[in-house]
Amino acid sequence: MSDILKTTFCGVKFKNPVITASGTFGYGLEYVKHIDISRLGGISVKGISLTEVPGNPMPRIMETTSGMLNAIGLQNVGVERFLKEKLPALRKHDTKIIVNFWGKTLEEYVKVAEILDDADVDMLEMNISCPNIKEGGIAFGTDPEMTYKVTNEVKKVLKNKPLMVKLSPNVTNIRVFAKACEDAGADAISAINTLLGMAINIHTRKPYISNVTGGLSGPAIKPVAVRMVHETFSSVKIPIMGIGGITNWQDVVEFALVGAGAVQVGTANFVDPQIPINIIDDLENHLKVNNIASFSELVGKADFSK
Amino acid sequence: MVGKIVRNQKLNDKYYLLEIKCEEFVREAKVGQFIMINTRHQDYTNDPLLRRPLGVANIEGDKFSLVYMIVGKGTRLLSECQKDTEISFSAPLGSTFTLLRKKRTALLAGGIGIAPVYWLAKTLKEAGCVVDLYYGGRTMDDVVLLEELKETTDHLVVTTDDGSAGIKGLVTDPFGENVNSYDQIYACGPKGMLRAVSEIAMGADVPVEVSLDERMACGLGACLGCIIYVKEGDETLQKRCCVEGPVFDGSKVVWDTVCK
Ligand SMILES: Cc1cc2nc3c(=O)[nH]c(=O)nc-3n(C[C@H](O)[C@H](O)[C@H](O)COP(=O)(O)OP(=O)(O)OC[C@H]3O[C@@H](n4cnc5c(N)ncnc54)[C@H](O)[C@@H]3O)c2cc1C
Ligand SMILES: Cc1cc2nc3c(=O)[nH]c(=O)nc-3n(C[C@H](O)[C@H](O)[C@H](O)COP(=O)(O)O)c2cc1C
Ligand code: FES
Repeated sequence: MSDILKTTFCGVKFKNPVITASGTFGYGLEYVKHIDISRLGGISVKGISLTEVPGNPMPRIMETTSGMLNAIGLQNVGVERFLKEKLPALRKHDTKIIVNFWGKTLEEYVKVAEILDDADVDMLEMNISCPNIKEGGIAFGTDPEMTYKVTNEVKKVLKNKPLMVKLSPNVTNIRVFAKACEDAGADAISAINTLLGMAINIHTRKPYISNVTGGLSGPAIKPVAVRMVHETFSSVKIPIMGIGGITNWQDVVEFALVGAGAVQVGTANFVDPQIPINIIDDLENHLKVNNIASFSELVGKADFSK
Repeated sequence: MVGKIVRNQKLNDKYYLLEIKCEEFVREAKVGQFIMINTRHQDYTNDPLLRRPLGVANIEGDKFSLVYMIVGKGTRLLSECQKDTEISFSAPLGSTFTLLRKKRTALLAGGIGIAPVYWLAKTLKEAGCVVDLYYGGRTMDDVVLLEELKETTDHLVVTTDDGSAGIKGLVTDPFGENVNSYDQIYACGPKGMLRAVSEIAMGADVPVEVSLDERMACGLGACLGCIIYVKEGDETLQKRCCVEGPVFDGSKVVWDTVCK
């Protein structure tokens, strides 16, 4: 493997810009049997909270046209068990570990961040955008003042780890939220989380998902994500991790052109666990064939001239 | 994994038998396990997006079989796959049936639930078990492969809701009368049936294993979309149908959460 894909993102040196997205890659270990996870640039693990969370009632998922709805409800083992039971095994693989985390209250966000700041992980990704739980999460991601506040408070306790804030697409103007993060000291932004959606079984007349609404992900949301990464890129200076519907190397290049310094692959991991690996290989090939010296050369190079 | 289609045979308007050649898979697969199969045989489309879970119905030499029922887009596309097409899947996945030697076993299948039960019957028979199969469907079209099943079972009892094949009525009726004569029960089919079978088995104090269906996105334990609630002691635990299942101890499943 050559160095052409090496990407430094908020000071963290990734072997390539392809990271698997939170909630779609478990704690990483689930995929060890299926792919060589050390090939990945990094892994963003399932959203971690202060204490164990059981998640929403079933059914939690439904496929929709070129996408899927989920309302998992942020089920996770809690930060203590994550650090004890999952992290050591995950650390054996040579890839960067981003810990996605969230809280039900401002205090919980701060507490989890404080614990993770001392853990053997590479970066933190603060989820303020999960549409599937009533308390916390989305409440912080849909009010710019709350976004500023939680980012600022968390940033105050972090001494070692860069903080990336994951934004919600379920807002009218994502620029305002991106700016709030930057002003509050965030080191990076990741966008987007899932879009709020819904599906009804016409035979039973009931929602397919017990939570009624769910988060839409997959290829169906890619144009929305590309637009939002573009808007974010044009309003802040901190780096952006692009997420939403990526399934191949062309999608990655598209996200890079509108300003993504790295990307996350989510639902595609369900479609075929091999997809992120194929993307890495194909992306390297694309750069070589076109004499592009590094991935970073593509970032923000979309041509909007008329 | 990738396999090559050997045959994709129409059994009737609803049911198909798909035989795939893949040495790697047959070496590893155990009875009760399933695969996540890509039903799009072209990669230029994203629809259907997710792969489909299907149980392994048989293994012979370097080939394995699936039996599937057409319900929607994915299974319809699968039925259009031609011989020699390469097809990709993740496998083998999930838990297995407990295999016994020289015991008296009852197997229950409802409709497409026959898929994993077919291989189980064959395996138990080879291990010297008495294998009685109770096989129910809505109509005669829902009970397939009867000739083959006769060979791998000691008694084959067929029931249909409308009486168009076998005994008219529910598959649990003839089974319930004989439940005390078995050492182990296995079942796969609709959730309501699995619940009824488990309750009958528990009433007679006979161990029961059921293979459950849940919608799955990953099939690998990562998405947490396929939770089954299971009682262990005083605790209710969340199990992933794709990793800790699809085979569960029927006496421990919290049926109220599964049958809604
Ligand atoms: C462990 C396991 C083993 C299975 N084994 C078999 C088998 O051997 N033969 C067989 O015919 N069927 C089997 N099924 C059911 C089979 O997966 C579904 O019938 C199939 O996914 C339907 O896909 P579709 O695109 O045709 O239908 P659609 O209704 O268009 O599917 C829409 C979505 O719902 C999901 N879905 C629909 N019905 C089911 C179901 N009953 N269970 C789980 N997900 C469902 C699909 O996977 C898809 O994501 C099994 C299911 C599980 C979980
Ligand atoms: C089943 C599932 C679970 C998810 N869980 C989380 C989570 O815990 N935390 C989070 O920040 N995002 C979560 N997401 C959102 C993804 O990380 C990603 O932002 C989104 O799915 C869009 O990308 P995609 O289209 O590539 O999937 C989840 C998505 C899915 C499909
Ligand atoms: S289907 Fe994803 S965890 Fe079971």
